Amino acid sequence: MQQIVSGDQAAFGKLYHRYKSRMYYYFYRMLGNSAEQANDFLQELFMKLIEKPESYNPAYNFSTWLYSVANNLCKNEYRRREVRQGYQASEIQETSDDCLNDYSVEPEQAVEKIFQTLELLGEEHRSAFLLRYREGFSIKEVAEILELPEGTVKSRLFYAKKLLAEKLEYLKDEIAF
Amino acid sequence: MNKKNPDQLLSQLLKNDHVGEPDKAIEDRLMYSFLLKNSESKLKQNSFGNFFGWIFSSQSLGLKTAMVSLVLFFSLFNNQLNFEPGSTATSDSLCIHRILVADTSHLVLPIDSIRNDSLN
Repeated sequence: MQQIVSGDQAAFGKLYHRYKSRMYYYFYRMLGNSAEQANDFLQELFMKLIEKPESYNPAYNFSTWLYSVANNLCKNEYRRREVRQGYQASEIQETSDDCLNDYSVEPEQAVEKIFQTLELLGEEHRSAFLLRYREGFSIKEVAEILELPEGTVKSRLFYAKKLLAEKLEYLKDEIAF
Repeated sequence: MNKKNPDQLLSQLLKNDHVGEPDKAIEDRLMYSFLLKNSESKLKQNSFGNFFGWIFSSQSLGLKTAMVSLVLFFSLFNNQLNFEPGSTATSDSLCIHRILVADTSHLVLPIDSIRNDSLN
């Protein structure tokens, strides 16, 4: 980060290549599987890094800090969507109901079904779920990123897994509680 | 039934998931913005813009007041300054009195840096 602050473009390029796919995936899954929005938010995230590199707190692990900025961008987007219109809840409900009736899901399609099911719980659960199982962060790190107590993170993960086990036939057979 | 650890299963599922790659144009735009930002900051390095901006802003009013007071204090009590009315410190350190009196009874005129009290 110090190299980026001092204007080292190669260092910035290296950082972008290291995180671009992970951050793209995070935005893609957090923002309703939209490639266009994932691209927009990925650009916005790194623009923040260019404009205010000094906002990085060296006390934090860099990836933890980057995900917390990304998560805040997602939260702002949810707020904007809520203000714009309140139709999403009903839309999500319909989608989820469709997927819940489909018990013939293949393992390849399981991830899509997982995210459709997680829509029932909301973005807080989805972000904790993604950070824990996709990115492999510890509970403590997830708590830092989401600015929540560790207990809350554990509880969200538990309810997410419970819902998945209840709703998805494929996972029902695989997940033990 | 052979049940798996749910954490391992979910991690495995998600880590094998691919949703594509970000648009290449983003990288180009970011690199351009990075160059632009750095060229701007280099241009600013030798300018006094920030200093004057600070001077005429409402920030740090206490500090500015203290600095002005300090300058005034030293100006008023500096021994180098002579507040005797009508006297002027010249470059050759000689004191020239130009005392103008209304009734012209006492007149000191400077002539070639030599004190000349011709009417006394």
